[in-house]
Amino acid sequence: MNSPARGAKLPRALRTILIVIGVLVAYVIAYRGSEVDFPRLIGSLGKGGPLMQDFLTPDLVTREIQPVTLQLALPVPCGSAPEGEVPASGPRLVPGVPCAELRDKFTVEGIDLAPNTELQLRWRLPSDQYFPGPFISTDADGHFSAEFEARPIVATKDGVPSKIEVELLVPVGGPKPSAAVFEVLDAIIVTIFMALVSTTAAVVVAVPLSFLAARNITRRGRAGTAIYYITRTTLSVFRSYEPIILATLFAFWVGFGPFAGAIALAIVTVASLGKLYSEAVENIDPGPMEALTATGANRLQVVLYGVVPQIVPDFLSFTIYHWDINVRISTIIGYVGGGGIGYYLAQMINTSQNNKAGTAIWAIVVVVWAMDFLSAEVRKRLA
Amino acid sequence: MLEVQHLHKVYPNGTVALTDVNFTVNDGEFLVIIGLSGSGKSTLLRCINRLIDPTAGKILWDGVDVTTAPAGELRRIRRQIGMVFQQFNLVKRSSVLTNVLAGRLGYANPYLSLLGIWPPAERERAQRALTRVGIADKAASRADALSGGQQQRVGIARALMQEPKLILADEPVASLDPVLAHSILQYLEQLNREEKITVICSLHFLDLVHRYATRVVALKDGQVVFTGLPQEIDRARFKEIYGEEAIEVRAGMAES
Amino acid sequence: MLNALASLFLPGLGQFLAGRRTRGLALFGVIAVMLGLIIWAVTPAVGGAEADITFKGNPANWRWLIVPTLLWLWNIWDAASPRPVLIPVIAALIMFYVMGWQATEIDLEALAKNFDRALIILRPMFRPDFLQPKADRLEAWVELEVPCSPTPPAGANTLVGTSLSLSAGCASVGETLTLTAGGLWPDSDAELVWQSPIGDFFALREPGTTQPVITRTDSTGRLATRFVVPKAIPPGIDPNLPQNQRLYVRQSKVTGGYELSTNGFFVLKGIYETIALALMATTLGTLFAIPISFLAARNLMSANALTLGMYVVVRTLLNIVRSIESLIIAIVFVVIVGLGPFAGMLALALHTIAALAKLYSEVIEGIDPGPIEAIRATGATWLQVARYGVVPQIVPPFTAFTIYRWDINVRASTIIGFVGGGGIGFFLVQWINLGDFRAVSASFIAILVVVMAMDVFSARVRERLI
Ligand SMILES: Nc1ncnc2c1ncn2[C@@H]1O[C@H](COP(=O)(O)OP(=O)(O)OP(=O)(O)O)[C@@H](O)[C@H]1O
Ligand SMILES: [Mg+2]
Repeated sequence: MNSPARGAKLPRALRTILIVIGVLVAYVIAYRGSEVDFPRLIGSLGKGGPLMQDFLTPDLVTREIQPVTLQLALPVPCGSAPEGEVPASGPRLVPGVPCAELRDKFTVEGIDLAPNTELQLRWRLPSDQYFPGPFISTDADGHFSAEFEARPIVATKDGVPSKIEVELLVPVGGPKPSAAVFEVLDAIIVTIFMALVSTTAAVVVAVPLSFLAARNITRRGRAGTAIYYITRTTLSVFRSYEPIILATLFAFWVGFGPFAGAIALAIVTVASLGKLYSEAVENIDPGPMEALTATGANRLQVVLYGVVPQIVPDFLSFTIYHWDINVRISTIIGYVGGGGIGYYLAQMINTSQNNKAGTAIWAIVVVVWAMDFLSAEVRKRLA
Repeated sequence: MLEVQHLHKVYPNGTVALTDVNFTVNDGEFLVIIGLSGSGKSTLLRCINRLIDPTAGKILWDGVDVTTAPAGELRRIRRQIGMVFQQFNLVKRSSVLTNVLAGRLGYANPYLSLLGIWPPAERERAQRALTRVGIADKAASRADALSGGQQQRVGIARALMQEPKLILADEPVASLDPVLAHSILQYLEQLNREEKITVICSLHFLDLVHRYATRVVALKDGQVVFTGLPQEIDRARFKEIYGEEAIEVRAGMAES
Repeated sequence: MLNALASLFLPGLGQFLAGRRTRGLALFGVIAVMLGLIIWAVTPAVGGAEADITFKGNPANWRWLIVPTLLWLWNIWDAASPRPVLIPVIAALIMFYVMGWQATEIDLEALAKNFDRALIILRPMFRPDFLQPKADRLEAWVELEVPCSPTPPAGANTLVGTSLSLSAGCASVGETLTLTAGGLWPDSDAELVWQSPIGDFFALREPGTTQPVITRTDSTGRLATRFVVPKAIPPGIDPNLPQNQRLYVRQSKVTGGYELSTNGFFVLKGIYETIALALMATTLGTLFAIPISFLAARNLMSANALTLGMYVVVRTLLNIVRSIESLIIAIVFVVIVGLGPFAGMLALALHTIAALAKLYSEVIEGIDPGPIEAIRATGATWLQVARYGVVPQIVPPFTAFTIYRWDINVRASTIIGFVGGGGIGFFLVQWINLGDFRAVSASFIAILVVVMAMDVFSARVRERLI
C-alpha cells in the first residue's frame, strides 16, 4: 500500500547520501587546492608581528630635527684650564671627575639623550681636530655611561683644554604632522575623486543601458528581445571581472596613473549599476505605464512620465551605494594600475616603509568608514 | 458609437479569455459589464483601446477599426478614450498635479512635455479637473499620500484631461468602501449625463449595476451570456451568470 | 532676518536655527569641504610619490573660491527665505567634477593616441592560449658564451639522435654565427629559440623584422642557417660578464587532435585554486562569523555594561577589518605563511568573518520577538525556544548571506593572487606583465565561466530563500 511512498523515500535517502559525499569530496579537493597548512600559520605567526606593529604605529607625527653638539671641557692635567660646567637639566654629559691627570681612567655619563640610539663619543682636541672615542648606545631612558682614558694627546695646550663631545639629533619644537600624512592626504583625495569621476561617468552610460536591459521596457518584438539579451549578456560579462584586472590592462593602454584605474572602475560600475538599475526598472508598477498608454501618450512620454518618477529614488540610492563601493575598490586599484592611495600603499610596502603603509591603511579605514556611514544615512533618507 | 464584432482573445499561454464577443454601445450609454472573476472583463476593456491586442475580430470606434489602426492613428483614438483602473495606476512618487497633467500627454507638444514643461492653460485645465472631482487642495501632494478614494478621483481627473468621448472603467470601485464606491460612480454618472460621455464600466455588485447602468453586458468564460436592461437581471439570470452557488451580495448603503 | 545674519557668519547656522537642520548641516559641510579642497589644491605636494599630482600647488586653483563664495551668498539668501536647492547643487557638482577630472588625470587623448597598444592587447584576445594542436616535438640545443671568455664552450652538442654545432663556441651581441644541425626531422620547419641566462625563452627574429627565424631541414634532416646573437641580458646585469646561453632548435609535427597547452594547464590550476580557496575561505569565515555575530548583536549584548562594552569592541574591530580590502590583508598573510593560496585563503576568510558577522548580527537584531514569546508561552525550554523560535528565523537569511559572500569570495579570489595569494590572479598578473595576452585571454574566459556560474547559482539559491 505504501510502496509508492517508500519508493520515493529510498531515492531521497540515496540522494542525501550522494549530496553529502559530493560535499565531502568538494571539501577535500578544496582543502588540498588551497594548500591549507595551519601548523605553518601558527608556527610563523610571529613573522607578521613586526609588520603588524608597523601598521599599528602609523607614521603620523614628526618633530623638527636639529643636530646638536654636546661638549664638556675636561682639563688634563687638573688645573691646566678651567673645568667645564655641567648644566642642571636637558641633554648633558656628566664626567665622573671634574678633571683628570694623564693616563687616568674615568667614566662619563650621558643623561636625557635620545633613547635607544647609537652615538659616537669623541675628543675635540685643542687643535680643533677629532680623536675618536668609544661607540655607545643609550638605554630606554636616554642614558649611557662610558669609560675614558686621558691619553697624552688630549692634554691641555696653551691653556685650551680638550673637550669630550657627542653629536645628537635633537627634536625641537612641538610635534607636527609627518610628510607621510600629507602624502596620504593627497593620495586619498585623489582616490575619492577617482571614485567620484568613475561613478559619475558610469551613471551616464548605465542609465540608458539599464532601460535596454529591462525586460518590461525593451523586450517587445524580435529586435527588442535581441537588444535585451545582448545588453544583459554584455553587462554580465563585464560584471564578472574585478576592476583591478581591467585596470592592469588599461594601465598598459593609457599608462600608469589614476586614469587607468578610473576607466576600469567606470566599466565595471556601468555593468554593475546597469544591472541594479534595470532590476529597479523591471520592478516598477506597470499600472501607470498602462494608464498613460491608454491616454494616447507615445513611448517616450510613457517612459518619462510613467517610469522615471518611479525609479529616480532607487537610482539615486544605488548610485550612492556604488560610490561607496568604488571608494573601497579604488583604495586597491592603484596597487596595480597606479594612482591614488593603492599606489602609495604599494610603493611603501615594496620599499618596506611599513609605518607609512600603516598611515595609508588607517586613512583607508577612516575614509571607507565615513563613506559607509554617509551613504547609509543618505540612502535611509531616500528610502 | 462603439461596435465590437466577433472579438476573440487567446493569451500567448493558451488561455482563451474572450470568444466571439459581439455588442454595440451607443453614444451616451452607461454600459456595465458584469461577470465572474476571470470571465474576461478586464481583457475586453483593454481590447477596446488596444492595451491588449485582440486575436481576432473588429472593434469599430465611430466607424474606424481600432484593431488595425496604425500607431499614430491608435494614439489619436486612445486620447479620446479615458480609462480608469481598479488599482488607480497613479505614479505614486509624482505629485497629484503631474499625474493629472499626464492625462494630457496625447495632446501635448511632445518635446516640451519631455522636459516637463506645461503651458499655463493646461495647468489650469488640470486644476479644474481636480476641482471637479473635489480634491483641488491636494494638487501638490504626492499621489501616495492620498487615500484610496482620493487616488481614484485623481484617476478620473486624469481621464477628464483627455476630454474623452468614452470612458472605460475597469472595476473602478473594487478597492474602495461602499460609500466611496457610490461617490466615485456618481462622478461617472454625472459625466455621463451632463457631458454625454459614454461610459463602459465593469462592476461586481449587482445593486450598483441596478443603480447606475443603462444597459448591461454579462460575460461568462469569455462569452456574452446576456445583453439587456439592468432590470431584466432577476434571480434566475443572476444564477446563470454567476453560477448556482452564488448569493447576491450588496454593496449596500446610500441607495435611496 | 536674524537667520540671514546667522548664516552670514556661519553658513547653515540660520537654516539650522530655523529648524531646517539637514539643509543647515549640509550647507556647512559642503562649504567646509570646498574650502578644504581649495586649500589642498593650492598647496604644493610634499614631493615623493605624489609629486605627480600635476594640478596640485597651482595658484590658479584659487579661482575655485568663487564657488564657495557664491554658495555662501546663496546660503544667506536661503536663510532669509527658503530657495529651491537646485542651483547650489549644480554649482557644487560642477566644482567637484572638474576638480575630480583634473585630479584623476583624465586624458581622453591617451585613449585614442595609444590605441595601437589596445590592439596589442585585443588581437591576441581572440586566440586564447588554452588548447594547442597535438603535435610531436623535437628539441635540440647547444650552449654558447656571450661575450667570449678565455675558455669558451665547445659550441657543439649531441643529444639522442640529434647534433648541433656552431661556427664558434662564443660570440658578442650582434655577431653572426652559423648553425649546422643533423638528425632532425627531414623536410620540415625548425624554429630557433634563445634561452637567456635567467632562463627566459624567446624566438629569434630575422634581423630588422618581427619575423621569427624559421628554417627548413633537407631530406636527410640536416639544417644550416646563420643567425645574429641577440641581446638577452636583462638590464642591471653587467653585459661584459661572459654568460652561458643556449640556442634551441625546435620542430613540431601536428598529429591531429588538441591538447592542453602549457599556459592552459596553468589556467586550469589557477582556476582550481581560485575555486578552492573561495570555498575554504567562505566556510572558515562562516564558522567564525556565527559565534562572533552574537557578540555583535545589540539586542543580545545590551544586558549590562560589560556585555555592552564587548559589543562595542567587537563591532569596532569588525568595522575596521571590513574596511580593509582583502587584497591588503593578503599582503600581511603572504609575509606570514608565504606565497600561495593558503595566504589568500586566510585573507579572504578574515574579511569574510568581518563582513558576515556584521550581516548576521543585523539578522539577529531584526528577529521578530512574537514567535519566541508564543513558543515560550507553550512552556518550551530555552533550547526549544531557540530551535523553534529563533533558528527558523535566522537560518534562511544566514544561508542567503553566506552564499552571497561565497559569490563575492569567488570574485575576490580571482585577484588575490596579484599580491601572491594564489589562484588565477597569480598567473594572470604575470602574463599581463609579460605581455602574453593569449594566456590572459584564456584566463579571462575561465574567470568569466566560473564567476558567471557562481552568479547564477547564488541568485537562484537566494531567490528561493528570500
Ligand atoms: N496576461 C495574461 N496572460 C495569460 N492569461 C491571462 C492574462 N491576463 C488574464 N489572463 C487570463 O484571462 C482570463 C480573463 O482574465 P481577465 O483579467 O480579463 O478577467 P476579469 O473578468 O477581469 O477578472 P477579475 O474580475 O478577477 O478582474 C483569466 O482566465 C485570466 O487568467
Ligand atoms: Mg479584471
